[in-house]
Amino acid sequence: MADTKKARAPFAPWDRRELPGSFSVEESARRVGNYKWIEMKLFEALGGWVATVPELDVKMRLGTHCYHHAWHADLWHKRLPELREMNQDRLTVPPNEELVAFVDAMTEPEAPDLTIEKLVGVYRVLIPHKIAAYTYHLNNTSTITDAPTIRSLKFALQDEFEDYRDGEMLIQSLIETDSEVDRATAHQARLEKLMLKAGGIAGPGSIGTSYVSAEEVQEVPA
Amino acid sequence: MRKIYPADLLARDERFVRLTTEDRFSDPRSPGSRSGGRGATRLTPSRPDAPDAARTLMHGIFVGEVQALEGAGRTCWDFETGDGPEDTPFALKLDMARQCWDEARHTEISCKLMDWMGTELGEFSESIFLYEAACNPDPVLRLTGVNRALEGLAIDVFNTMKEFGDVAGDPVLEFCEDWMLADEVTHVKMGSDWLRRLTETDKERRERALEFQRVVDKLFSLGGFRGEDEDSPIKLARRFRELAGFDADEMDDLAEISRQAKKDAEEHRQRLAPQPSA
Repeated sequence: MADTKKARAPFAPWDRRELPGSFSVEESARRVGNYKWIEMKLFEALGGWVATVPELDVKMRLGTHCYHHAWHADLWHKRLPELREMNQDRLTVPPNEELVAFVDAMTEPEAPDLTIEKLVGVYRVLIPHKIAAYTYHLNNTSTITDAPTIRSLKFALQDEFEDYRDGEMLIQSLIETDSEVDRATAHQARLEKLMLKAGGIAGPGSIGTSYVSAEEVQEVPA
Repeated sequence: MRKIYPADLLARDERFVRLTTEDRFSDPRSPGSRSGGRGATRLTPSRPDAPDAARTLMHGIFVGEVQALEGAGRTCWDFETGDGPEDTPFALKLDMARQCWDEARHTEISCKLMDWMGTELGEFSESIFLYEAACNPDPVLRLTGVNRALEGLAIDVFNTMKEFGDVAGDPVLEFCEDWMLADEVTHVKMGSDWLRRLTETDKERRERALEFQRVVDKLFSLGGFRGEDEDSPIKLARRFRELAGFDADEMDDLAEISRQAKKDAEEHRQRLAPQPSA
């Protein structure tokens, strides 16, 4: 650091952040509102299930994970006014009725012998979809203008990955017979179909689209 | 999954042994039981039965933590979120979710401590009155009964166990109880703060909540189990309760409830004692 007056670039050579992003302020707020809604539904369900599962290790994990998702809901709650949504309740909504149907089905199991179904719904269906939607948002939003959302997404994703691993290992430890494999896969398929109808936790486009449009196909040179 | 999950359906594995509240208070081994027995005595290492009494209390803490976890979890689920008079505010639910995590940790700590102290799950029984208080359909009453009365009792219990660990030369017990005590002060403060906030414009609801708290406090003071006398098994932890939002009058009331409960139990024991033949 020989000359403190010597000009330096505003962005270091290793800082590759860019201004462009896929989401407007409004679109980012809409997604964040959907995230808050699903995080609330998830932490409420995990809390409710604690009393209904007899397995002590599962009981304690659900209590721990309940807080993780409540904290995510709070992160999104606080982000909404920063995205010009002063009435947080207005955007704290599901993207469509299909996601409501999914949550209703996911939270249906209550009996103490349905721990596998409870865990499958959360850890094999919902959380993988949350990881997908959060990752899509993280990788597509402006790394400079939407940095606060990115920071929250990274915190949330860290929990999601760890909770997913916890939940998946609990499921594997509970499944001991072929019929339990069938139970788990049947419940997963049922919920996955409902999630498919919803289009993901933020509705259709939760993870963008992988197909090129007809116009784009025609633009490709022969 | 239904709203308000009945206490008798609480899910447990085969090791747990459940007792009704009536059975528990009729058991002569319970401190201050109504059917006689040894009565309430302070937990000190010099007591001949101190190791067993400490293990009994530790097991009681463990099942209490499990039920506190379940109760906080149910408060996340049982009520609609909102700011209306019938609703539960979003911020309150966040507090309850936080409490879930704390109680899950306390359950983990209690499992480790039971092992450390030489007892195991199922050696002693479980009664479910803590969770029963957590079934109140009014969130304010539920929070007051659980977070102020029962978590308040937890402050007294953890402080007593912490002191026992100190006097008995058990740094592991003292260390763990001190950490759990910090969480309990937070939980009781949550109860105090939400009671104040949610009943600011509804004095009648506040009075009902405080009355529910008195009922729960009285139940848990049975036989003077928790009080300020030298021989009270569980000491009223005034300093920590003050941090959690209790004022001096409330603590005086609590001490009086305990004194009265102890007097009632002693009279009851005397009536049950065999009379000398004429």
